[in-house]
Amino acid sequence: MADLAIAPPKRLDVRGLVVQAVFLTLVVIVVVSAVTSARTNLDAMGLSSGFAFLDRATGWSYSFSLLERTIDDSYRWTLFIGFLNTLFLGVVSIILATILGFAVGTARDATNLATQSAAAIFIQTFRNIPLILQLVFWYAVLIHMPGPRQALSVMDALFLSNRGLMLPGLNVSAAAGTGLVAFAILAAIVLARWPGLSFIKKCLLWLAATVASCVVVALALSPEGESALSLPALKGLRFRGGVNVPIELVAMVVAITLYGAAYIAEVVRGGLQEVPRGLIEAGRALGLHEGLIWLKIKMPMALRTIVPPLGNQWVFLMKATTIGVAIGFSDLFMIVSTSITQSGQTLELIGILMAVFLLINFTLAQLINLLNARLRLKGH
Amino acid sequence: MTKTLKSLLAAVACAVALPNAAAAESATIQAIKDRGTLLCSGHNGSYFGFVEVNDKNEWKGLDIDLCRAMTTAILGDPNKAQIVPLSWAQRFPALQSGDVDIIIKATGWTMGRDTELGLQFSLPYFFGGAQLMAHADLGVTQATELEGGTVCVEAGTTIERIVADYMKTIDVEHTMVSYEKAAELRAAYLANRCDAFAAWGPFLAVLRATEIDNPDKHVILSDQLSSEPIAAAMRQGDEDFVDLTNWMIAALLIAEEHGITMANVDEVAANPPNPTVARLLGSTPGIGERLGLRDTWAREMIAAVGNFGEIYHRNLGENSPYKLERGLNNLWSHGGLLYAPMLD
Repeated sequence: MADLAIAPPKRLDVRGLVVQAVFLTLVVIVVVSAVTSARTNLDAMGLSSGFAFLDRATGWSYSFSLLERTIDDSYRWTLFIGFLNTLFLGVVSIILATILGFAVGTARDATNLATQSAAAIFIQTFRNIPLILQLVFWYAVLIHMPGPRQALSVMDALFLSNRGLMLPGLNVSAAAGTGLVAFAILAAIVLARWPGLSFIKKCLLWLAATVASCVVVALALSPEGESALSLPALKGLRFRGGVNVPIELVAMVVAITLYGAAYIAEVVRGGLQEVPRGLIEAGRALGLHEGLIWLKIKMPMALRTIVPPLGNQWVFLMKATTIGVAIGFSDLFMIVSTSITQSGQTLELIGILMAVFLLINFTLAQLINLLNARLRLKGH
Repeated sequence: MTKTLKSLLAAVACAVALPNAAAAESATIQAIKDRGTLLCSGHNGSYFGFVEVNDKNEWKGLDIDLCRAMTTAILGDPNKAQIVPLSWAQRFPALQSGDVDIIIKATGWTMGRDTELGLQFSLPYFFGGAQLMAHADLGVTQATELEGGTVCVEAGTTIERIVADYMKTIDVEHTMVSYEKAAELRAAYLANRCDAFAAWGPFLAVLRATEIDNPDKHVILSDQLSSEPIAAAMRQGDEDFVDLTNWMIAALLIAEEHGITMANVDEVAANPPNPTVARLLGSTPGIGERLGLRDTWAREMIAAVGNFGEIYHRNLGENSPYKLERGLNNLWSHGGLLYAPMLD
């Protein structure tokens, strides 16, 4: 049918071009004049501008970092650590919020009234209270736990105190640890693309590979005469050894996960309700039990409705990491805001902050588009 | 013509008066005497330990006592001091416009104030800087014992950098958690999130004494991470008034050095143990004439407010709720930074 529609002959749309050219010129003028007037005014006030400060040492410290740091680090390195912190917090929170959100969303869709109302209460509570309030609440709760000397312990290997969560770890350097994480991610990508294996088998294989790599690296690289496993132990004012998750990070993850899960649960419920009843009834008629119906019929169908708004929630959660400043968690926003007061380079630092968030969230949006394309039903 | 003549006459008068210049009165001192009161800077509220006001509008504090000492020196009566409540931002304009005669209010001596603001500073009478407060049950008394501890600080302040520098200098490994707001910082410290709290020393002392239910559970560490000289600020251009302020502070220090107190000042004056004390208390004449005051001004002043040590202990030290150790604010002979010029 489309062949029959006759396209109008292409004409040069002079008016359209003029409008676009004028608009473009205006944008260029506004941007250029903003930049030059900012420059002139800063010069007039005797304030320095430019990015030379990035190489200066900061001279201040902050609460959390995944990498080694000192107070002599340059602003460049400190900002990079802030970027990693934000990315780490965002990714962990997004993964946990998604898992919890799917669980609560499924419960919300359940036929059991008790399950359904519990899920509804969860959603209404965490969705309707501002995130910053929830964060301050969780932080207040967490810092009123016992101090490190009276820490709650599980088998003397895992400790929870108001300083943080201490977990047993491998007795290897930070670089080796990073290598292990990179290996685990690589293994997951390779296995995901490996043909001819069921999902469950892929998961088991990945788990085996990861554990094996950890054991091998720990045995090979741990310092001589020391055990391969590093257990946290109270020494002086704090725990040494093992992996220390500071309480600020715990509070951030808890707050963002619960808040995000409430939103994602609603998205999941919406998706599940879109699944045609006929398909579910067909599954029951075949004698499949509810779990299998959820896994094989409901989820695959619902995902197509869930993914686009889910991606939106992920971008939103990534931006929600900027509230660390309220409780002293050194995310990128906090590092930038401290850098501004300590170096005075406001415009440059705000520019960096905006560019980094644009980069993170643009990448995230691209990933979601990719996922969406993969999930699309053929012929729809 | 008359103008020229007048200035000529004035110049001649000045030249004639020169030999007696020391005894000549400064404009500020003359104004104070005419008015019968000395106008000192108060605070819009209480800055505990230095400038405090109670619900009966009675002022007290280290700075208020120094103002009373000055009033006694000039007017012979500590009650003739008049305290003008001023905010931090108002204090310098108020001084320049003559609303107060002198600012004695925890004011740091900086180059900008000394030059651009047109102020003249006295001898420093107090040294305060960044300090650390820790939970007493840790058994910590100095910063080196904080190895492995957590220090909380207000984000984006100079304290943040001072602490980082200091801990690096003494090579103490620590975690620093910085909070944007003072209230969150205080809550985190009180909840035991941090082992130590870094802030301006006198502020910590006040926090410990007034806002914490049990002050004995917290200890201010002996380390001075930085120091700022606190001095009285006056308008530029009245050197005689500056001299008077300096000698008021010097007299209080000399009195402490020689053990002259509120209680024994009359006894010591009657029977001075050494020539310096005799000159200070006016037993040997000279101290008054050179400043255009009575020979007994220092003696009356000490009788009214005590020596510097007594003033300190009454307002900040052992006799106050704050129990602030003297540290740098002790006489040089006791390991502090305070010293008086020589009274010859």
